[in-house]
Amino acid sequence: MFRCVLTAASLVLFACSSLVHAQKQTIGAPPEASNMKLVGSNDLQARSAYQPTIHHQGDRWIAYIGHHGGTDDVPAPVNPMTGQAEPNGTSIVDVTDPARPKYLRHLPGQEGKYESGGAQMVRVCDGKTLPKGDPAAVYMLRTFGSEAHEIWNVTDPASPVLITRIAGLKDTHKSWWECDTGIAFLVSGAPDWRTRRMTQIYDLSDPAHPQKIRDFGLPGQEPGSTGAVPTELHGPISTGPNGNRVYFGYGTNKGGILQIVDREKLLTGPKEPTPDNLRFPEIARMPMSAFNGAHTTFPMLDMPVAEFAEDKDGKTRDIVMIVDEAILNECGEARQMVWFADVTTENRPMMISSYTVPEASGQFCQRGGRFGSHSSNESMAPVYYKKMAFIAFFNAGVRALDIRDPYHPKEVGYFIPAITAATDKRCIPVEGGERCKVAIQTNNVETDDRGYIYIVDRANTGLHILELTGPARAVAGLPKN
Amino acid sequence: MLMAVIALGAVSSLRAAETQRAGDWREIAWPFPRDGWPMGRAFRCVAGGCDGAELYVRAKRGFCNCETGVADDDEVDRVTDIDLISPRFRAIAPGTAVSVAAMHGRVRHYDLDMPDGARHAAAGLALSRHCDLLVAVAQGAGEATAVQRAALVFLDTEEMKGWMAAALDGR
Repeated sequence: MFRCVLTAASLVLFACSSLVHAQKQTIGAPPEASNMKLVGSNDLQARSAYQPTIHHQGDRWIAYIGHHGGTDDVPAPVNPMTGQAEPNGTSIVDVTDPARPKYLRHLPGQEGKYESGGAQMVRVCDGKTLPKGDPAAVYMLRTFGSEAHEIWNVTDPASPVLITRIAGLKDTHKSWWECDTGIAFLVSGAPDWRTRRMTQIYDLSDPAHPQKIRDFGLPGQEPGSTGAVPTELHGPISTGPNGNRVYFGYGTNKGGILQIVDREKLLTGPKEPTPDNLRFPEIARMPMSAFNGAHTTFPMLDMPVAEFAEDKDGKTRDIVMIVDEAILNECGEARQMVWFADVTTENRPMMISSYTVPEASGQFCQRGGRFGSHSSNESMAPVYYKKMAFIAFFNAGVRALDIRDPYHPKEVGYFIPAITAATDKRCIPVEGGERCKVAIQTNNVETDDRGYIYIVDRANTGLHILELTGPARAVAGLPKN
Repeated sequence: MLMAVIALGAVSSLRAAETQRAGDWREIAWPFPRDGWPMGRAFRCVAGGCDGAELYVRAKRGFCNCETGVADDDEVDRVTDIDLISPRFRAIAPGTAVSVAAMHGRVRHYDLDMPDGARHAAAGLALSRHCDLLVAVAQGAGEATAVQRAALVFLDTEEMKGWMAAALDGR
């Protein structure tokens, strides 16, 4: 009898210790991984990271990584290359050898902390693809804090040169730049609009001479309107002149809207921001639940779906993957996750499936920081496009999804980096004060044409370069490693 | 005995004056359908010069620019729940800065076209606490300034301050 009680007590203790282990990350512990492995890393000078863009530049691969502003504790981290305290901006890293990423340059951004400073977003185009660019040049479009968009010549990525600044804005965010036309959908807050973020469309085919085309947003956001103000833009993704569609995501974690827009009508239609003119290019609008937002709206058109192969109609589907953004720490809101919409019949878009990390698989609500999705890779390179998607899931790291059947997305791998001494705390209010925990906050993910996966951390843990292993490689058709 | 009556009378007068200033607000059911934010609390003024006015208060956590707080009147238009009462509202003047319960923000007056065709006045209030918002709308058939004054006094009571702090903590 005594032995039974002892055994039961031991089991309870073991279960409890496993639970505690699962809930708390510790410095020095190995990363948690399945079918993904670490190739290389860089601490990004312990700056809070947002959007990475990986560009094949000559015979090199360069990662351009946007940063949020600094923290209360360290508003402007010291750049060890200059010895100076610099407001967070853009990290430029040579990742040609992904096992040994080489930090080339930190380009300071706007002074400020958290969302208010830095240079969060970045896109890169070659001059040879831009209609009026210098064929020998490479251009980087980035935000400058909340107040401006900038274009830099990064032909020599270690010595960027500022070319253009579009300033005087209230807020800026995740823009889209078509490298083959130069058309840019800049997410801004024009001073007279009623929303923090809307679209300013520019022709940036000649990066030195930006040409404004028009402002765009949802009716009710335009200057002079009254009544309810629709939720603000997060970012658009264009399929260019061939696809002739722009997919706009509004709202991040609540009341999201997917808006499908005719690109040609948007660019050439009447430009005065009246309600009728704003409605003119719209093909459809799909409102989401009040619980969920539309942070990233990633189009995957004309996808063959194996299950429908024998059907007389509908063998291929136009899919938009919608990723919400978790905002509150420690599950203080409805779950933010990934949604797949079938937009084949464009004026009747329909949500068909969803994906989330099972909370119980890591007790993620108790680990600290945010748990939920934030963003997906946005590369349309053939290596993963329409086959696999990678989702940044904050304290659950990055998740690799098999999306070949978008009606039934399936997780096939994950990687949660280990925390380091640089990983910043995340706090929640408790009666009489606050309680803080330290956990990975994988914020964004991008892939390159070679198949490497780049994840960056909002809580200052830096950049991790990953590759698929095991059965996950077969999903993408990659050779065994 | 006489002294006691005088004292009670004085207390009663003070209470009446206080009620006149704050209004007498009685809690009612939250009148709006479920949306993305947790429900708040709703009150109706039953005496004290704001009779018939209603006040809706709730926390919107993570909805505020952590550094700038409530930056401008457009933000008040966007974040207060005035659109839940009626989508047809019109600001009638620039807003003003306001502080309640150690939180800072802005308040703005509106004309509301109610679904039944009536015209109401409303005051929309947005206060920030770090990255979180506390929003309130007071609306009624009376004059907006009087409704706003009564609502602000009510929100500054210990009971409401305690509830607002808990709501902003997610408790």
